[in-house]
Parts: sequence; C-alpha cells; structure tokens
Amino acid sequence: MNLRARRTLEFVLDNLVWFMLLFVLAVFSLFIPNYFQLGIFANIIEASSVLGVMSIGLALVVISGHMDLSVESVAALGAMAVGILFCSAGIGMGVRLEPEILMVPVSILIATAVGGLIGLLNGFLIVKVKMNAFIITLAAYIWVRGLVVAVSGGRSAQDLAPAIRWFGIQRFLGLPLTAWIAIACFAVFSLVMSKTPFGRHLIMIGGNETATFRAGIRVTRNLIIAFVLAGAIAGLAGWLLVVRTSGATANLGVGLLFNAFAAVVIGGVSLKGGVGSLPGVYAGVLLLSSINTAINLMGLPSNFTQVIHGLLVLAAVLLDTLKQTIRQKLA
Amino acid sequence: MKRLLLSVFAVLGLAVATLAPAFAQSKGTVYYMVPTLLDEFQTGSVSALEMFLKQVGYEMETLNADNKTDAQQSQMNDVIALKPAAIILAAVDFNALKPSIEAARAAGIPVVQFDRQITSTPSDFTSVAGTIEIGHVAAEQAQKLLSEKHGSVKGKVLQVLGDPGDPYTLDIQKGFEEKMKEFPEVTIISHPAMQWEASNAGTIVADQLIANPDIDLIFNHAAHLSVAAVASLESAGKKPGDVMMMSSNGAPVGLDLIRKGWLNVEVEQPLYAQAAAVAMFMDKVVNKQEIKAGEYDVLGLKSVLTVEAWGPNIKIPGAAIDKSNVDNPAFWGNLKPPSDTVKPVE
Repeated sequence: MNLRARRTLEFVLDNLVWFMLLFVLAVFSLFIPNYFQLGIFANIIEASSVLGVMSIGLALVVISGHMDLSVESVAALGAMAVGILFCSAGIGMGVRLEPEILMVPVSILIATAVGGLIGLLNGFLIVKVKMNAFIITLAAYIWVRGLVVAVSGGRSAQDLAPAIRWFGIQRFLGLPLTAWIAIACFAVFSLVMSKTPFGRHLIMIGGNETATFRAGIRVTRNLIIAFVLAGAIAGLAGWLLVVRTSGATANLGVGLLFNAFAAVVIGGVSLKGGVGSLPGVYAGVLLLSSINTAINLMGLPSNFTQVIHGLLVLAAVLLDTLKQTIRQKLA
Repeated sequence: MKRLLLSVFAVLGLAVATLAPAFAQSKGTVYYMVPTLLDEFQTGSVSALEMFLKQVGYEMETLNADNKTDAQQSQMNDVIALKPAAIILAAVDFNALKPSIEAARAAGIPVVQFDRQITSTPSDFTSVAGTIEIGHVAAEQAQKLLSEKHGSVKGKVLQVLGDPGDPYTLDIQKGFEEKMKEFPEVTIISHPAMQWEASNAGTIVADQLIANPDIDLIFNHAAHLSVAAVASLESAGKKPGDVMMMSSNGAPVGLDLIRKGWLNVEVEQPLYAQAAAVAMFMDKVVNKQEIKAGEYDVLGLKSVLTVEAWGPNIKIPGAAIDKSNVDNPAFWGNLKPPSDTVKPVE
C-alpha cells in the first residue's frame, strides 16, 4: 500500500463515525419523505444539544479509564434547581434579578455548581477513598434522582424566566442558541483534550494509570478534576434541558444516561480508557438524534429506537475491533 | 424538684390523654400502593387519599413502586405480612398484579383499586374515572375544536402518547381513536414520549411541525408533556392559538397553559372525587359489608356504582376544562382541596 492510500485509509478510520453519519443522513434523505429539509437538520442538531453536552462530561471520565453513571440524575437536579428558582408557575419561586440578563449567568452558575459538587463528592470517594466508580456513581444516580423527587415533591416547575428561555427561542443561522452552546462546548473541550497538558494527561491516565503516575503526573488531582468537570457539564446539560422544555419535571432527562453511553461508544471512545476524541462523540450524538428523527417521521413505534440504538452500539464496537485489526496490519 | 417532676408528669399525662382519643378513633391502617411519584396526579392522589381517609378514621401509609412492576409485587407481599385494614392499589401493570391481589384477598385483606381498573380478578372496590372514557371525552372535544376550525370534523391530529409500556396511555389512545374512527377525514399521527419524559414530547412536536406543518391539533396524554410541546411551538415561532392543543389528566400546569391561551382543553381526571369515593366506602370494604349499586353523590359529582364481575365499581365522570371553567376550585389542578368532609356510606 502506498503512502497516499495508507493516509486515506487512516483518515477514514479516524473519522469513521462521521462517514457513518453522512451515509445515514443520505439514506434517510433519499427514502424518508420530508426528511431532506433544513428544518429537520436544525431539529437534529437542536435535539442533540442536551445529550451532546452530557456526553462530553461522560467522555472525559471514560477516556480517563473510569465511568460516571450519575450524569443523568445530576442534569435533572441542575434542571430542577434552576426550575424551582427561576420558573414562575407550579413549584417555581419566580426569583427575578435586575438587570434580567443577570439571571442567565446566575442560573448557569447554580446548575454547574450543583453538578460540580456532586462530581467532587464522586471524585473524592472514587479517587481518594479508592471506592469503585461503578458503585459510587450508581449510588449517586439513585440518590440524586431521589433528591430531585424529594425537592420537587413530584410536582413540576413551569414558565421559565423569559431572559433564560430566550436561549431556547432565539436562532442564529437557523439554529437555536442552545445548539450553539453545545457546539461551543464541543469545540472548547476538544481543544482542551488535544492541546492542553490536562487533556493529554487524562488520555495517558486512561491508557495506563500506573505508568502515568510514575512519569510524575498528578493522577489523583487530574482524575478528581475530571469527575468535577463531568458533574458540572451534566449540570450545564440540565440547564439546557430546562431552557428547552421551559420548565422542570421530576422525571426530566430520564433515559439520557443510556443514550449518552451509546453516543460515547459509537463516537469511538474506548470503555477501557485512553482512546477517544470529542468530535467523534458529537458525531455519535448526531447519529442517534438523526435516527430518532427518522423514526418520528416514519411513524415507527418508538420501541424501535431502542432496538436500533442497541444495534448501533454493537455495530460501533464491531467496527472498533475492525479498526484495531486494520491498524495492526498497517503498523 | 418535686414540683418539676409533677409538672413533667402532668404534661406527659395531658399528652397521653390527647393522644388516647386519636388512637381510639383510628379504625386501622390502610396502605396505598402508588405507582410512581414522578407525576403530579400521583403525588396529588397521595395527599387526597390521606386527607379523606383521615376524615373517616383511617391512617394511611404510602409505598411508591417507581413505575416498577416487580417492586410493586414485592411491596404487596410485604404489606400482606403486615395485615393492614385494607390495601389501595394503583397498579403499575394492570395484569401483573393479579396474583398479588388474589394473595391479599386470600389473606383476608380487602383490596381497593384506585384510578387503574383491573378486571381480570375480583377486588373489593374500584374507584376510577375510566381511562378509555377519558379518551372518549378527549375525542368529543377534538371533534368540537376541529368543527369550529374547519366547519366539519376533519384535519390532522398529532397524538403524543406517554410511555408505550404504560397501559394507562394505551387505554386513552384506544378510547380516543375509537371515537375518532367515525370521522375518516381526520388523520391521526401517534407517537409515544418514551418514559413520559417531557423533552421527548418536545422533540416529537418539533419534528412533526416540520414534516406536517398542517397539524391542526395536538393531543398530549399528560399536561406536563404539553409544557414541552408549547416550548417547541414557541421555538418554531408559533403564538398561542396558532395550533390547537389539548391534554389529559388536569394537572396544575395544564390549567396554567389554558389561562395563557396555549391549551384549548384539558380533560380532567377527577382526582378528589376518586379519592373521596374510596374513603366513603372504606368502612364497608374493611367490614366486608355489601356495597349496593346505584347513583352516589361524590363531592357533588353524580357517580354510578355498578357491581361488576370484578366487584363493586364506581365510575366518576371526567370533565373537560377550558377557558370558561378553568378557575373552578373543584378541579384538582387548582390545588384547592374541598372543604366538605366526607362521610362513610351507611
């Protein structure tokens, strides 16, 4: 194989999920009536915003060789905290700040702080106390959702302050601002992962924690930061969720965790750690969202969504194995 | 010191004396098996049942199954061992709980079905609004709205269901489509919002508005789904009234949306009356006395009690709420519990 062919093959392997996305979009556009239109593509990107942001935090932890099952419940708690404070109907307290624009940074700060605190607790127990990440974050998944129900009393908050809701309505280049926030998050964290020592250290920790420690890198600190970031980013996803639905219910975000894991795996992040990139994860999120939209338009029972998601994850793992085999042959 | 001790004993004595009548008045503990606390109807049912049962002399304990059938089965087994005065069951799964109901009744514990009717095995009492009937009421309202818009019953309806695994939403769908079948010029597009999650409903509405911009009416199977649907309509640049909308269950958020002009109709489940009916008949249920068929006044609602193959069944009529009657305090969504006390049926 000549150098040019080899480079092309490596490029395809590195961006396989993007090619899958393009293929799926082309097939759906050809065969599903009403699919090929800008409004539908904008919907796909908009529907990806919450899941996309949540997947970033999850991917950071997975790349570092751990896992965080609490992100869904943390997002729900962040959403409920913002909902209770800044909604004016239901259980909303209708807090108003002057000038109104101040409510935007304050609400984001509250949602991310709530998430960051839970992430810190998770990180401390997992990294410092050396408890199992699966168990600790599973426990957080349960108790944080319980807290959402307890705090809300099972009731919902509606009518989000217009200054915050503005992000869900206003559009720039045909996309709502919430979608741009998700895209910006992917851009920032992709740079963090590829261009900063912190990002590179996380990948190294995920690849071989002991070797990274022996190389003098502060593994404990970096891992705790990864968990705090995962929590804070989940809180931001909760903020996007409350903006998107203009309120918060006790079951808000239920089912997002499994989709986030699916997106991360489809996006090429190895569950063993040390491998993966955030642009790939975004492609995974877009892929899931475009399939959901196709199912909505085709009128298929939505149970098919789960079947297709499951098969996609399986396909992604098989493709990943195929990629590794081809890479070994190229080496 | 002596005085201090005497004072303490006096206060304790007074406390015991106060408590004693309360104990004497209690007719026993009733367990309420609530399917979930993640929606406002269910949380409202807990406080309503507790309030009305207290008025007729019963204590109430609540166990939440978190929408898990197996959890509710285990809870039933645990409660049977506690031998309560009665069990009120709002089943997660209408069929899977049948053996648990039979086990409770075999152990001499009466079982009351609340809100969700189980017809495959006898129970001691059933209090329902009728989910299929809610679908019928919704269909009547949809026919009215479409007629007002087009001059006859025709057009496109987007039906946003709850979780496809929940028989509650499937029954409403059945009732709704049963009545709408008579109008061939009406197209119904149905999609389930997985796990009753609001943002799923929002996505469905956003997609369908683009694929089917001529949708006349959106029917959401719960008021909290309407909130996300409104958010999607707003994002699509729609104003209140541009697309007609209705939902079912009568939750406070639905009533708020009617006031804001987004929602045309909310089909109410008469939560207070359903709970009051349980309390009215609880003495007869616990004492295993005969419950007679007939018409009963439950908080001012004419309700029909029939004796069916599965036991005495009271059906409370659901109501359609619109702008003209939205502030009526009788609707549970206004969160004003009735001041009238419930009296046991003689």
